[in-house]
Amino acid sequence: MSVTGAREEALASGPGAAPASGAPIRQSNLWKDAWGRYVRNKAAAIAGAVFVVVLLYCLIAPFASPHDPDAVNFALASQTPSLEHPFGTDKFGRDLFTRTALGGRVSMLIGFGATLAILLVGVIYGAISGFIGGRVDNGLMRFLDALYGLPYLPFAIITLAIIGRTNTWTMMIALSIASWFTTARIVRGQVLTLKENDYVRAAKAVGARWYRILGRHLLPNTLGVLIIAIFLELPGVILGEAFLSFIGLGISPPDASWGAMAQEGRTVFRSHPTAIIVPSVAIATLVLCANFVADGLRDALDPRTRET
Amino acid sequence: MPLLEVNDLHTHFFTREGVVRAVDGISFSLEKGKTLGIVGESGCGKSVTALSIMGLIPKPPAKIVSGSVIYDGQDLTKLPERKLEDVRGREIAMIFQDPMTSLNPTLTLGIQITETIRRHYDVPKAQARKKAIELLDEVRIPRASERLDDYPHRFSGGMRQRVMIAIALSCDPKLLIADEPTTALDVTVQASVLDLLDDLKAEHDMGMILITHDMGVVAESADDIIVMYAGQVVEQASTLDLFDRPEHPYTEALLGALPQIEGEGIREGRLTAIPGRPPDLIDPPKACRFAPRCPYVGSDSCAEHMPELRELRKGHWVRSAHPSTERAGVRQPDRAPA
Repeated sequence: MSVTGAREEALASGPGAAPASGAPIRQSNLWKDAWGRYVRNKAAAIAGAVFVVVLLYCLIAPFASPHDPDAVNFALASQTPSLEHPFGTDKFGRDLFTRTALGGRVSMLIGFGATLAILLVGVIYGAISGFIGGRVDNGLMRFLDALYGLPYLPFAIITLAIIGRTNTWTMMIALSIASWFTTARIVRGQVLTLKENDYVRAAKAVGARWYRILGRHLLPNTLGVLIIAIFLELPGVILGEAFLSFIGLGISPPDASWGAMAQEGRTVFRSHPTAIIVPSVAIATLVLCANFVADGLRDALDPRTRET
Repeated sequence: MPLLEVNDLHTHFFTREGVVRAVDGISFSLEKGKTLGIVGESGCGKSVTALSIMGLIPKPPAKIVSGSVIYDGQDLTKLPERKLEDVRGREIAMIFQDPMTSLNPTLTLGIQITETIRRHYDVPKAQARKKAIELLDEVRIPRASERLDDYPHRFSGGMRQRVMIAIALSCDPKLLIADEPTTALDVTVQASVLDLLDDLKAEHDMGMILITHDMGVVAESADDIIVMYAGQVVEQASTLDLFDRPEHPYTEALLGALPQIEGEGIREGRLTAIPGRPPDLIDPPKACRFAPRCPYVGSDSCAEHMPELRELRKGHWVRSAHPSTERAGVRQPDRAPA
């Protein structure tokens, strides 16, 4: 026994196991490996960096800027970019550099808020469906199929009309109410596969209750997929917000969001194109980056799906 | 009073193709401190029997149709799920065939062991951790206290099975069900895991049900053996008696398929295989289920009546019209010696 035990131990402690001397060893773990794979993907790494820069710009610029974003000064109206006003000014003479950052805050707040709501509803719905399985699963999924028929933007518009007020919070609700279906499906699929794992059965065999199995063994293992889902949903929601604000159903002046700013800029498009170009480029940059980041994360967190 | 008593257990799977009678009337009892071996080929219902005892059969499609599993005076098949969860791990624990997939790869051993302890005992984390180290020591994992924070991928198959055993033992169960505990392991490691199970059984004074398709495995550790075929018990006897004087043609065939290395009156020549395949368990015929593969079947009742399980001699039960003691000198197997 002791002989085979020792042999086994020797086999187990191949490369990567702790040497007896206790020298530090490199523990490989999922997140470190994923990080390594992510930064090797150039497009994703650059997109991620740009994403962070845009985020920091939106957070810091309003504090750092000497200009009051709401101060109307017609003497300074419709200026082209200069050192004083890096993005120029709008038709009311407000500093676009500051306002774009403020608008970005609103856009991102709505974007992340709605995405979180999507995740929350999607995870709960999907987890219930996949975990209970059987008839409940079948019923919940057929209901979801029916909901899939709802067009996303018209449904958001109707929701806003029903609520009757438009602010950051109602925008979040409107944008998430018809877009959590895919997330629910993803989570349901994951839970369905994961619950067949031997370690789930082994956990049941020692008396683990359902919430422990769900919370310890199933949901944490869907984390990778959820992180990807965040960055897949985010661009859609941000575009949706921009679209609603652009057609005048979303955030309205004097509050700024990128969509609302583009709408303001549209009226002076011929004489002063900067006012529409700046928020549009901001929207495009963020959406593009989020897509690249999602791609990179998918490859990094699930290397098997990667084609080389 | 026996530790566990299984009475006429029927577990069926209700599928689209029909009702699969995976376990079709199994009865046995197990005394404290004893080991019961359940042998049989794949699909004979050994594992479903074990899962039925634990209440872990997938329902639907499976369902315990009738019969009872009496443990500590209560029928486990009638117990509500919440009560059953308290029995699992605390009273009856189970280890599974594949140690490579039975541990959650994303959690450290420490978490997986201490959570099991804390599920059944209200102890602080530090104390559960101490107990976990003792357990790993007990299953002979070297440097237990250091390995507690390692992830499962840093352990070999044999070590992982030891960890599974440690988890199973963490709440001092009175009954351990080992479902093919060594099948997925290397032959050299198999022996050490079996030794370990034997030692631990004695130390903890547990009853053990050892499920395997390997006659060699049960020969060493089991006190009594049940041979299952097509969802039924075909032979039940003490280990010595069974190996010494197997009665059922199926048991004989199983032993004939086993290589012998040494011993008196050693069999020579080729190992024999059992011709044919086990019957489909959807609507099996009301006849001896082994008849189509039995070398002794003649123009008799085998194809018409299901033989009853009868006690041939004290403690030796068999379900066959032609047990070996009754046919000795009367009939010869029509299989030609090789």
